[in-house]
Amino acid sequence: MKTLRNLLGATAVTSLMATGAIAGGHGWSLADAAKPYAGTTVDVVFLLRPGYEAIEAMLPAFEEETGIKVNIIKHPYENALGEQVRDFVAGGDLDIALIDLVWMGNFAENEWVLPLADVQAKFPDIMDPALDIDDFFPLVLNAFGGWNDTIYGLPVDNYSGLMFYNRCMLEDAGFDGPPSTWQELKDVYGPALTKDGKYAFALQSKRNETQSADSFARVLWPFGGSFLDENFRSNLLSEESQAGLQFRQELMQYMPDGIVAYDHAETVNAFSQGDVAMITEWSAFYSSVVSADTSKVADCVEIAPEPMGPAGRKPALGGFSMAVASQADEAEQAAAYLFIQWATSAENAREYLERGGVPARQSVYEQDGLEAFKFVPALVESWQDGVPEFRPRFAEWPEITEIVQEWGTKMMLGEVTTVEGAEEIGTRMEAVLESAGYYSGDKPLAQ
Amino acid sequence: MTSTRSLWTQIALLVVIIMVCVFPFYWMVTTSLKTQIVALEAPPVWVFEPTLDNYREALFEDGVLRTLLNSLVIAVSTTVLALILGVPAAFALARFEFRGKKDLWFWFITNRMVSPIVLALPFFLIARNLGLLDKHITLILIYLTFNLPIVIWIVTDQFRGIPYDLDEAARLEGASQFTIMRKICLPLAMPGVAVSAIFSFIFSWNELMFGLILTRTEAKTAPAMAVSFMEGYNLPYGKIMATSTLIVIPVLIFALIASKQLVRGLTMGAVK
Amino acid sequence: MRGQVSRKTVFGFIGPAVIGLAVVGIAPLLYAVWTSLHFYNLTKLKRVEFIGLENYMTVLTDGVFWQAMGRTFFLLGTALPLQIALGLMIALVLHQPGLTLIKTLCRLSLVLPMATTYAVVGLLGQVMFNQKFGVVNQLLGGADINWIGDPENAFAMIIFWDVWQWTPFVALVLLAGLTMVPGEVEEAARLETKSKWTVLRYVQLPFLLPGLVAVLILRTADTLKLFDMVFTLTRGGPGSSTEFISLMIQRVGFRGFDQGLASAQAIILLIITIILAQIYIRVFYKEV
Repeated sequence: MKTLRNLLGATAVTSLMATGAIAGGHGWSLADAAKPYAGTTVDVVFLLRPGYEAIEAMLPAFEEETGIKVNIIKHPYENALGEQVRDFVAGGDLDIALIDLVWMGNFAENEWVLPLADVQAKFPDIMDPALDIDDFFPLVLNAFGGWNDTIYGLPVDNYSGLMFYNRCMLEDAGFDGPPSTWQELKDVYGPALTKDGKYAFALQSKRNETQSADSFARVLWPFGGSFLDENFRSNLLSEESQAGLQFRQELMQYMPDGIVAYDHAETVNAFSQGDVAMITEWSAFYSSVVSADTSKVADCVEIAPEPMGPAGRKPALGGFSMAVASQADEAEQAAAYLFIQWATSAENAREYLERGGVPARQSVYEQDGLEAFKFVPALVESWQDGVPEFRPRFAEWPEITEIVQEWGTKMMLGEVTTVEGAEEIGTRMEAVLESAGYYSGDKPLAQ
Repeated sequence: MTSTRSLWTQIALLVVIIMVCVFPFYWMVTTSLKTQIVALEAPPVWVFEPTLDNYREALFEDGVLRTLLNSLVIAVSTTVLALILGVPAAFALARFEFRGKKDLWFWFITNRMVSPIVLALPFFLIARNLGLLDKHITLILIYLTFNLPIVIWIVTDQFRGIPYDLDEAARLEGASQFTIMRKICLPLAMPGVAVSAIFSFIFSWNELMFGLILTRTEAKTAPAMAVSFMEGYNLPYGKIMATSTLIVIPVLIFALIASKQLVRGLTMGAVK
Repeated sequence: MRGQVSRKTVFGFIGPAVIGLAVVGIAPLLYAVWTSLHFYNLTKLKRVEFIGLENYMTVLTDGVFWQAMGRTFFLLGTALPLQIALGLMIALVLHQPGLTLIKTLCRLSLVLPMATTYAVVGLLGQVMFNQKFGVVNQLLGGADINWIGDPENAFAMIIFWDVWQWTPFVALVLLAGLTMVPGEVEEAARLETKSKWTVLRYVQLPFLLPGLVAVLILRTADTLKLFDMVFTLTRGGPGSSTEFISLMIQRVGFRGFDQGLASAQAIILLIITIILAQIYIRVFYKEV
């Protein structure tokens, strides 16, 4: 847990221990801690995804016990950042920020959210002594909830890229298991599984975060590429990055037409309808593809880690933490923290999992009776060793992702070559970083 | 003069035109009555067991009802405000001579053409500084940018059609201009006022971009709500179409009422 | 002289409207000009700084802006001729005598597309043009056309909906023009020639011209404004194949959060619009 300690910072850990000591481990109860804040309403943005439905279903118990009302404002992912940014710059009503790992730099640098240590210092009485922050997967806590060695949020909706495959289709084509490398996927599985209007693979590539996170970055890392080199200059023209991008172009022949219009919904749906044999998607969609209500292939679904590239596994990493908003008043901040703490607690992790969420608590995955959740082994494996800067997490990401989305899509459509596209992205990306002050030394090269 | 054959081609043409205009609405309504499973049937089915579940869910569980009420409050308020401000201005433009009149016309017509995004950006920042985001009043005010010109145009036109002799007579009896407008001209201009009100309502009700950018929850409008169903991992097509139907019905009714004047309104009086 | 009243009276009548419109219409524009001269990023409000005309330079030299502009005019160039051709055909059919009932019905149905909430048109498009369960492919005899995911098809789909929604407008404008042709003139012409084309060209066209010019200018303005329908249908995709100018500015301002650059783009768009409006007013409101 050494990394974790570093990242929490000495003060945070000390104060955490101190509060734990004061509360003494006994006598603390959620109901008591929440008493001063009963009747407070907490506003939070939720996404239209399974993990949030799970929390919503569990919520009555929390509201009953605490008297705190949680007001959920639902948004599609693509609107969630814009909605929250507009709320925070306006000093709006949100008491909790729901932060995608790539938004973290933004929220932290704008001081829209409070560091966890500050919340703890401010409200020592509401700290659950059983918080056990070491129980979160360190990689996940660091990437989803931390920025510049400070923890702000606790991971709530946690994703790793996984390979979902249709065992029945693969068996029909004579395969015993999924491909272990991207190369194999393209050269062996691709031709064998693409026929009769069915496709071997679908890579969600719609021009929004999906293009940059799920599609572009996914082919960059396993081939040894990356967005930036150590000097924060574009690394997209490197041989490795180009190999990855070129690979994506070639793989497209085994994907449905119009893959550039596929978002998560279309991809998951194509898989669920049995039109596509394999997808690499977030763990969060597991509950959807195995539910008979939404999936025709529920019985055939199997999960594997993402295929490996020449540079190793490097699965996509993504996910959300919730942090206390600095714009909220005191009672709202305390109530917000109580909710976050409750929703991400080790105690509730099992129920969250069973209702379709994916907790980031290590302890829950050590429990018995998880055979039904086929994604667990692959997920746990990928969280041991992932790339936190899978997408750079600095405050400039919202601008850069727009650039990547535009030119990444143009590459896929063949409107520009991978080299031309990489040049365009590189120039524009460096212009953004230049004006942000990274090259003049005004800003540390942190991502 | 017309032969039977050309009569039949005429009828066939008219029927085709009607069908093309109406079919999307038919499809919208039928889709709104489908369950998700039926809605995702490929190829689509035309005969199925209808259900009102989408409407129930949309209205009462997802809060579409509230956004419809928001839209109603906003559209009606902005219309009333546009009339209060616009009718006297229209009267002045129709009846008085003054300097700068031409520039005023120009300015009003320009407002009809400006892309909402031009105003949405600064309006957002201003509303943010004044703490007016997500408030009904914000949309009520910004919708004036297109409602006020419409009201002024149509009503000015209407006032012009009223003979001068009437107010001349009243003036000789010592009536003020305001009394002349209110007592003599306004009653005669009522058809134009009504039409401009209908337009103002339709445009405000249909508006999406401002609603999307300037509201969040409290003042969220129905079109902005319909859009927020559009993502997620499982697109609820039936519910989206149910919401769409609820949004479209009132404007269609109003449009049919004002159908004769619709063209005039859309061209701001350029085509009589 | 008729119409001469005191300035006070004029102001009393027109003042409230002018002030009202100035507050909501002009103040924001001034603010936009200010923003456009600054580095103004919503997620970096700590470092707002004056940068002069840099944003404008970026817009003027950025291919993406002009591509979006070109795309917008390309849409206009393809959709408008279709709307005029179809609209003229509909207007001529409706202008013929007889069949009153069905024609009334037809006129009423023409009103519907124009009034439909633009955002709903886009949502309807998503449902009807879906590759798998969309009714359009079914009506095309079980075609397997990928409408939303293919750049050209998506563009064609946008043209379809634009034509669907606005051909009725063109038709009714032209119909209004046709009814202005004095009956006796038209009849006399018909006695002289059998060619409908000749009648159209030499008798009816002069009466149609004002309407056509109105259509031309208003459709141009509306295409520059086009946002709602495309936003709900394709969001500008796939790639940037349907990213028209208003969508693009929205993306820069509210997704990239670069309000300064977006404001500069908006101001340039405004200037283009004002020139357009000038022409419009010159043509139509000479009498004012």
